[in-house]
Amino acid sequence: MPELRPIDDSAADGHAADHAAIDRLASELLPALIAKLGATGLGELEVRQDGWRVRLRRPADSVVRGERRSPGAARSQPGHSGHGHGPLPTEGTRQARAAASTNGSGPGGHVAVGPGRGTSADVPSDGPAMAVSPAVGMFRPDPDSTAGRRVRAGDRLGVVDMLGVPHEVVSPVDGILGEQLVDGGEAVEYGQELVVIEFAEAPATEA
Amino acid sequence: MFRKILIANRGEIALRILRACRTLGIEAVVVYSEADRESLPVQLADEAICIGPADARRSYLSAPAVISAALVTDCDAIHPGYGFLSEDEGFADVVAAHGLTFIGPPAEVLERFGSKEATRRLLGSHGLPTIPGSDGMLRDDLHALGEADRIGYPVLIKPSAGGGGKGMRMVRTPRELESALRVCRSEAKAAFGDDSLYLEKWLDENRHVEVQVAIDRYGHGVHMFERDCSVQRRHQKIIEEAPTPALSQQAREDLAERAIRAVVAAGYENIGTLEFLVDRDDKPYFIEINCRVQVEHPVTEMLTGIDLIATQIRIAAGEPLGFSQSDVTLRGHAIEFRINAEDPAYEFRPATGVVERYHAPGGPGVRMDSHLYEGYEVPPFYDSLLGKLIVWGPDRQAAIARSHVALEELLIEGLTTNVTIHQALLGNEAFLEGHMTTNVLDRVGAAAFLAAAARS
Repeated sequence: MPELRPIDDSAADGHAADHAAIDRLASELLPALIAKLGATGLGELEVRQDGWRVRLRRPADSVVRGERRSPGAARSQPGHSGHGHGPLPTEGTRQARAAASTNGSGPGGHVAVGPGRGTSADVPSDGPAMAVSPAVGMFRPDPDSTAGRRVRAGDRLGVVDMLGVPHEVVSPVDGILGEQLVDGGEAVEYGQELVVIEFAEAPATEA
Repeated sequence: MFRKILIANRGEIALRILRACRTLGIEAVVVYSEADRESLPVQLADEAICIGPADARRSYLSAPAVISAALVTDCDAIHPGYGFLSEDEGFADVVAAHGLTFIGPPAEVLERFGSKEATRRLLGSHGLPTIPGSDGMLRDDLHALGEADRIGYPVLIKPSAGGGGKGMRMVRTPRELESALRVCRSEAKAAFGDDSLYLEKWLDENRHVEVQVAIDRYGHGVHMFERDCSVQRRHQKIIEEAPTPALSQQAREDLAERAIRAVVAAGYENIGTLEFLVDRDDKPYFIEINCRVQVEHPVTEMLTGIDLIATQIRIAAGEPLGFSQSDVTLRGHAIEFRINAEDPAYEFRPATGVVERYHAPGGPGVRMDSHLYEGYEVPPFYDSLLGKLIVWGPDRQAAIARSHVALEELLIEGLTTNVTIHQALLGNEAFLEGHMTTNVLDRVGAAAFLAAAARS
C-alpha cells in the first residue's frame, strides 16, 4: 500500500500545490517504484523527494510467494503417481509448462478476477488483482501494457487470439500494472492469470 | 498413427478415450470447462486445458474453443466422444480445415448421413427395411398433417439432427400433432441448432435393436452383431444388453449382415451404429445411424473382446481394420446399466451433490466405467450420467445373477441415483423373460416397478 504524505504539514503551501505534487508523484514516481519493488523482491521501499515521502509496502502475506494456480495449458502427470490410490488433490500438484517463466518472481497472494473466478467485490482494496484470459489461444499483450502503467477497470491490456479472432484481455480493477505472467505469443487457457494488477481498487459500482 | 489427441468431452467417456489413447501409445489432452476443473479425467490426463466456462455452449460445444485448444497443445487429432460436437459435420469440416483429424467419419461422410430422413431413404435403397415415414422434411403444419394422415396415427415427430430424445414426441391425433410440432421445433432448435423435423410411423410395442459396425477407409467392414436397448424412459436408454433376447440367432445374424452390406455399399466409414425398431412380429425397421461411439459400446466390447474406441482411432488414422468378419465372435451375454444422478421415485428428477462415499463393484465379468471419486461434486450443468456398470456372464441368466450382486455392491453416497430402478427391473418378470419394449417404463411408470420390487 503506498503512503503519500508531506513530511512536514507546514511545508505544503496550499491545496493546488498538493494536487500537482500528488499527480506528478503518482504518474512518474510510483510506477518506477512499483517496477523496482517487483524486480527486487523487497518488502518495502521508501523515497524522500521535495519534502514528500513515498513509502511502498507489499501486503504482509505476499512477501512469501503463494502457490498461484498454474497456467495449466500443459502439466505433468499427477495421475501416474497416484495409481491405485484414487484421485489426488489437484491444486498442489499442477505444474505449468509456462511456469518456468513465472517462477521465482512476482508477488503472490493474488486475487484473480475475471471469467467465473469470483467477482471484483472479492478484491481487497489496494491488494493485487489479476487480469485473466477470456479464451483459449495465443496471448498478445498490447505494447503499452508495461509494468507501472496506471489502468482503470475495463482498460484493454491485450488480446487472446482464438483461431484468428481476438478476445480482449481487460483489467478487472483500477490499479497499476505489475508483472506480466505470460510472454506474448504463448498459449494460454481460459481463465489463466496473465497480468498482475497492483494496488487494485475494486470498481466503485461493485465495491 | 496420431501423436497426440485432444479429448473434447467430459465424464466417463473422456476417461474411456484417455485409456484407449494410452493403450495405443498416443498422448492425450483433456479439455475441461471451469465446472469440471476437479474432474477425474482432468486429474488423470497427461495434459488438461480449460476451454471455457461451465455453460457448454461456450466450452464443450464451442468449435473455436475446442479447435484452438487442439492447436495450442500441438494435437493432431480431436476425439469428440458422444454428444456435444460428435455428430456435427460443420465441426468435422472446420477441424479438417485446420489440418487436424476428426476422429469419426470424414466430414463428407457425416454430411451424407447427417440427415436422418435422407439416410433412411439412402439405406432403404441399399436393401434395409425402413419404417414408413414422411416424404422428406416437414415443410409446414399442413404438410405434416397430410403426411401423418397418409402414414396413419400414431406417429412420432423426430428432429433431423441430434439424439437423446430431444425434440421427439409421439402423437395420436391431428390436434396433438399441431401443438407438439411447435414444442419439437423449439426443442430441436435449442438442442441442435436445427429445427427441421420429420415423421415416422409409431410402433406401439417395439423393441430397440441396434447393429454395431466398423468400416475402414478402404471399404472393408465388419459388423459386431447387435445390442438390445429396449429399456428406455422417454426415449433415453437406461439398460442395454446383448445378444437381444427378442430375436432368434438366425434373425440376429440376418439383421447384422444386411446392415453391414447396406452401409458399406452406401460408403460409410469408421465405427457406427444402425438403429432398428423391431415390431411384435419380429420384423425390423431401420430408423437411424449414429456416426459416433455410443454410450453402450462396452456391451459389444465385453462380448467380442474388441476395443471399439481404439478401433475408431485406428480407422480415423487411415489404418486398415486388420480383422475380418470371421474374427468377430460373440461369447456369453452382457448387460449395461446406466447409473444416473436422478431420482426414479420422483419422475427421474436430476440430482446433484458431492459424492461422499464411492465403491465400484468388482469380480469376474464386472466392469465399471465411471468418473466418480469420493469428494467429487457432480456439477448441475451437464447430463446426469455418473457411470456405466457392465456385467458379463456366460449366458443371460448368469449375467443377471452377477448384475444383482454388482448393483448391490455399488456404493454411491451423497446423492440420489437410479440404482433402485435397475434393481427393480432386474426382479421384473417382463425383463427377466426378455419382453421389455421401449414404452413399458413410461406406460407403467417407474413408481409401479419400484413398488413391486419393494413388495417382493
